[in-house]
Amino acid sequence: MRTHELEITPQLGRGLLSTMRSLLVLGQLMTESTGERQILDLAVSAVPSVAPCRVVGVEGVGLAPPCPVAGVAGQLVNLGPMGGPVVVRGEDWAWAYPLGSPLAQLGYLVVAAAQEPNGEEQFLLRALAQQTGAALANRQLHSQELATARELSEVNERLRGTVAALQRSMEIHARLTAVAVSGVGREGIARAVHELTGLPVAIEDRYGNLCAWAGPNKPDPYPKDPAPRREQLLRRALAAARPIRDGGNLIALAHPQGDVLGVICLVDPARTAGEHEVMALEHGATILAMELARVRSLAESELRIRRDLVDELLTGTDEESALARAGALGYDLQRPHRVVVVEGRGRAGGNDALFQAVRHAAREEPAGTLLVARGAQVVLLADTEADWEGLRQAVIRDLGGGSVRMGVGERCAAIADFPRSYRQARLALHLLETAEWEDRAVRFDDLGVYRLLIGNESLDEVMRFVQAWIGPLLAYDAQRGADLVRTVTHYLDRGGNYEATAAALIVHRNTLKYRLQRIRQITGHDLSDPEVCFNLQLATRAWQTVMALRTTPASPANAPANSGANSGTNSGANSEVPASGA
Amino acid sequence: MTTTPVQMGQPGVVMVPGDHICAFYRGPGQRDDVLLPFLREGIRSGDKCLCVLDDPDPERVILPLSLTVDVETSRSSGQFELLASDAAYLPDATFRPDRMLAFWDRNVGAAVQHGGYGFVRSVGEMTWALRDLPGVDQLVGYEAELNRFLPRYPQVILCLYDLERFTDGRMLMELLRTHPKVLMSGQLLENPWYLAPDAGAIT
Repeated sequence: MRTHELEITPQLGRGLLSTMRSLLVLGQLMTESTGERQILDLAVSAVPSVAPCRVVGVEGVGLAPPCPVAGVAGQLVNLGPMGGPVVVRGEDWAWAYPLGSPLAQLGYLVVAAAQEPNGEEQFLLRALAQQTGAALANRQLHSQELATARELSEVNERLRGTVAALQRSMEIHARLTAVAVSGVGREGIARAVHELTGLPVAIEDRYGNLCAWAGPNKPDPYPKDPAPRREQLLRRALAAARPIRDGGNLIALAHPQGDVLGVICLVDPARTAGEHEVMALEHGATILAMELARVRSLAESELRIRRDLVDELLTGTDEESALARAGALGYDLQRPHRVVVVEGRGRAGGNDALFQAVRHAAREEPAGTLLVARGAQVVLLADTEADWEGLRQAVIRDLGGGSVRMGVGERCAAIADFPRSYRQARLALHLLETAEWEDRAVRFDDLGVYRLLIGNESLDEVMRFVQAWIGPLLAYDAQRGADLVRTVTHYLDRGGNYEATAAALIVHRNTLKYRLQRIRQITGHDLSDPEVCFNLQLATRAWQTVMALRTTPASPANAPANSGANSGTNSGANSEVPASGA
Repeated sequence: MTTTPVQMGQPGVVMVPGDHICAFYRGPGQRDDVLLPFLREGIRSGDKCLCVLDDPDPERVILPLSLTVDVETSRSSGQFELLASDAAYLPDATFRPDRMLAFWDRNVGAAVQHGGYGFVRSVGEMTWALRDLPGVDQLVGYEAELNRFLPRYPQVILCLYDLERFTDGRMLMELLRTHPKVLMSGQLLENPWYLAPDAGAIT
């Protein structure tokens, strides 16, 4: 093998200089090249121009060899960074030149020739290989930089997206928080969400009734789902715990503490709503939940204050306190009032249905706005002289039918009169029952002789009168489970008419005659004597009054339910009720 | 023919009549960095400028020229002619070297002999040669033959090769061997790889 030392004569020097310029131009072109394959192709194409040999392979890590050569790879393992001779079958001479510098070697350019090139040619081959390696390394670095730049660009893009989303979220939050504190209510919330999303916004109550709308194309009438479908939708939205799509709407629930108070809808039939719109809807739902909870809390507070006020008025309170509470409600308590007690039941529904029916009827009549439920009764503080029977009929209509009776106390000229009027109303109701009158509205003022009896300071004299006239009948009824007092009461109330009395008692005419005979025998009274009849009738009414008083305590106690407690509060009705007249 | 150096357009880069220059660049941005100063200098110097572009919107490419030279006047006077590659290189979707050489001869000859121009700058964007059309495989032979044509007139021809499109290194070496001068990275170099048409077959 020839030495690699260069012998540079002037003529050779000029040629060498020319070839070096070629390498420089080629190097520059390699540097400008766009890929490893392009660089290697340039090198492979240039080799025959710098030496009488050819490339038989390019071996290296990560490089796609344009012309691999079998059996060379194993020989390269033992070569140092400077390269060296290799054996290629069918070639007299072959050499592996390192691609790149000893410090940054990428592989080998393996060239072969029929005879060994001279020193100058081998020098040029080595230079070409180094230049190729440098260009490859440069390209790899450039690719890495590009990849890093792309990665950074992607990270920046994601960061920009995150920052933009955060800013948008803050804008939405700030806008809706401002709405929440400004007290503009549901309309303001709908308007804000519409302005944030550009989509029409509807706010519905939990039943699907429209409460607020913002944006164009408001439907008229507003569509409402049947109750079962509505409940199904609410259940689905609750389970999803995020906005859900319902046809052309995107809906979110306002449900503080799990209780659905309302629904906010983005009207989006084209399904254009994206992440930001959904975010605005969710924030809107939160603010709506706060608003609806606030409104409900206010309503509950007002209801509680009203209930407390009515309770205090009925049980007796000092005027100053009552007026202060009424003032807080904006209610004029110093108008004349009557206490009205309503009992009854509709064809369906319980006490709440009766309460709502009385509330509606009293508002329509109008008869007043202060009312409370007390057990099976509803107590209304009426601030007008209403058509009481008309009010009762209105309650029945609201209930959709059923039975309702109503007791109305005397007018209250002062705060202290409310307990008396309340008891009067209840007495009137009980008299309706004990006297077996048909359901009606009864004013205490219209009770006639009953009112006279109730007005006695003491019922002892009344009871003595009762005992004197119908005492034996009461005792007989108590011992035998008979019905003689009721029989004589109905007989006298109907002026001695046999037919009417038998019909009222739902007994046969002969049974009535038998009973009247027994009454004559037990009492010894002549029922054809007008004086006797008057005293007997008065005694039966006195007994009804005593019975009503016995079941109507002077004070209804503090609890809203009826109570038999007798507080002895001063009232127009007698507070001393004998335990039994029998 | 005079050999007085002529400003190419880029700072400090001079060429001489008869130059056949191969410009390597990467992408449209670098193309414009070569093309626009070349044309601007030609318009300013009163040279005949023949420009054949393969860009889908040639008018948009030369638009920046109007910021510094009167493109409108130069085009209306015929000093500056802008052609699409389809019209010049591929009139019937076929590349024929003899027809293209006749095109240059006709246009350059007319400019010098009848147009009164003392110097002609021609520039061609060569990416059309990458299309799958008849005759494009004769590109290297055509480029070599241009070297015989160039001395006939006071002219230079600038051939624009995009390294991002001409990715075949072997083809680049062949093209390199057909241009006496090469422009890379703002430098105009004598091309040591150049093989004159009479020097033998192109390898």
